[in-house]
Amino acid sequence: MRINAKDLFSGLILIVIALVGLWLNADHAMGTAQRMGPGYMPWLTFMLQLVLGAIIVVLALNSGPDPLERWAWREMSLVLLGMCVFGLLLERGGLFLSTTAMIVIASLADRTHRPLGVLGVTIFLLALCWWVFIHELDIRVSVWPQF
Amino acid sequence: MDLLIANLAHGFSVALSWNNLLFAFIGCMIGTAIGVLPGIGPVATISLLLPITFGQPATTAIIMLAGIYYGAQYGGSTTAILLNLPGEVSSVVTTLEGYKMARRGRAGAALTIAALGSFFAGSVATVLVAASGPLLTSIALSFGPADYFSLMLLGLIIAAVLAQGSVIKSVGMVVLGVALGLVGTDVQTGQQRFTFGIPELSDGLGFAALAMGMFGIAEIILNLERPEARSVLTTKVGSLYLNREEVRRAVPSVLRGTLVGSALGILPGGGAALASFGSYMMERRLSKGRAEFGTGAIEGVAGPESANNAASQTSFIPLLTLGIPANAVMALMVGALIIQGIQPGPRMVEAQPDLFWGLIASMWIGNLMLLIINLPMIGMWVKLLQVPYRYMYPAILTFCAIGIYSINNNVFDVYLTVLFAIAGYLFAKLKMEPAPLLIGFVLGPMMEEHLRRAMLLSRGDPSVFIERPISGTLLAIAALALGMMLLPNLRRKKEEALAG
Repeated sequence: MRINAKDLFSGLILIVIALVGLWLNADHAMGTAQRMGPGYMPWLTFMLQLVLGAIIVVLALNSGPDPLERWAWREMSLVLLGMCVFGLLLERGGLFLSTTAMIVIASLADRTHRPLGVLGVTIFLLALCWWVFIHELDIRVSVWPQF
Repeated sequence: MDLLIANLAHGFSVALSWNNLLFAFIGCMIGTAIGVLPGIGPVATISLLLPITFGQPATTAIIMLAGIYYGAQYGGSTTAILLNLPGEVSSVVTTLEGYKMARRGRAGAALTIAALGSFFAGSVATVLVAASGPLLTSIALSFGPADYFSLMLLGLIIAAVLAQGSVIKSVGMVVLGVALGLVGTDVQTGQQRFTFGIPELSDGLGFAALAMGMFGIAEIILNLERPEARSVLTTKVGSLYLNREEVRRAVPSVLRGTLVGSALGILPGGGAALASFGSYMMERRLSKGRAEFGTGAIEGVAGPESANNAASQTSFIPLLTLGIPANAVMALMVGALIIQGIQPGPRMVEAQPDLFWGLIASMWIGNLMLLIINLPMIGMWVKLLQVPYRYMYPAILTFCAIGIYSINNNVFDVYLTVLFAIAGYLFAKLKMEPAPLLIGFVLGPMMEEHLRRAMLLSRGDPSVFIERPISGTLLAIAALALGMMLLPNLRRKKEEALAG
């Protein structure tokens, strides 16, 4: 057996999403082909997805080997953590504080970064974002923390 | 003909307003920059800049976004020729002959022919868009709901067939995209579908959040895990002038490239990358200098570079006339138009003449700008490559985060983007193509509407899709396209073509 692990997992993901979708869709009225209810198109879509997922799984059993790749957990979690912290801080802490926090956290993802470089990037981006988003576009968000 | 000229004149009057000129210029500059930089593509950049365009009128927004797309084709050739480093997928084949020319000391000539060829091809393609627009639109107005449904299905299938990698996985991604598009309020009955009671989801999953997460943020993570390939410019640019021999050899290649590129650009699922490869194959077979291929033949630069620029213009044709996106960039344009309150489709030419003709005129102006931006300022763009990625990605991240928040002034969209970034990274690790998903996501809701209408008109009889001549023909083409990919020979050819 030469299992294509990438395709196998791709197929399984499609199948799982389709099954969850079909289960959730049980609440929606199907209607008839002439007068389709809200559940008709989802039913068609998820059924098709289920069949495709199954075909992908079957084909994956003998089309490999294509093993799974390592994930860059560190890089991914730092970049995304930065974004989440930005979301948490933005409305209370203001644009500058939240953006600074995001840049510093995300910068840890690249080991070649030096503190002075991060400082420079932060100052440059804060100035740029102020000019683009506050001065030019005037998005409704406070710049400084709100107490 | 008179009407065409009058319309174009109107277009130029729109495109030449200060604001539109400024944004066309900004678009071309950004496009060139991301074209030069490997690791940042037009899809990610356009999704990143979507929120910034919302404050602008629709015409201005589309003019700028279009500038980014075709600007990237110009910029991509620069690094391909000078550094053997394709800035975009569409300039992969340019490295083959372009870099060899640079090694022979003719880098300047290669850059010139790439820019001039692109300019010529862009101008021809612009005229083609202008001429075919109203023509195709009048055909499209006779389309019924069943025909629309089949047309969209054809677009989705061809997008999946031409995507990189396994066809069946790409079809799966299209369907997954359609499924994601179902989230939100059902238009006809008002019922909430798959919203889990979250009020933010009642309008559907955010298009910008999906595009930014899967393309923008996921790309950052992918770039971070690869060690950076630092490249140093060793070749001299040399004289920018072409000698007589080079002109004589390049002219037919530019003409052929323009032709091939224009044709491949219109295809649903086609686009710049496919066009440049098609032209390269053609030059290697047909051109007089084919014996020199592999040692720096100018035909191998002139043809593909003309082709990819022609294709990036003509790929607007299906969007502007039928409202169907031919590739992921065009799907983003649909998203931008819908957010602006414009439904893309055959009525756009009449209902939005400013947008249609203004965009066409601005494409020509943009090509002229790019010629000036690229040739004399080549040194500046090469310097841009020396900025390390560690300074670039915090900027991309910041613009994404603030931009996505500013669409609805809601942090929910920021978290949604994080989720889509994880999904995008997962897809990349499993070799699942996100581009077909994006097209499915955009077309899905429209398809549901047309399907419902068609079935209502036919009283629930599905044979209407086969019996109507337009719809039947489109479905037959779709079946043929899928069937052809089952032939092992063709499949191998496609893999060669797209692997680069």
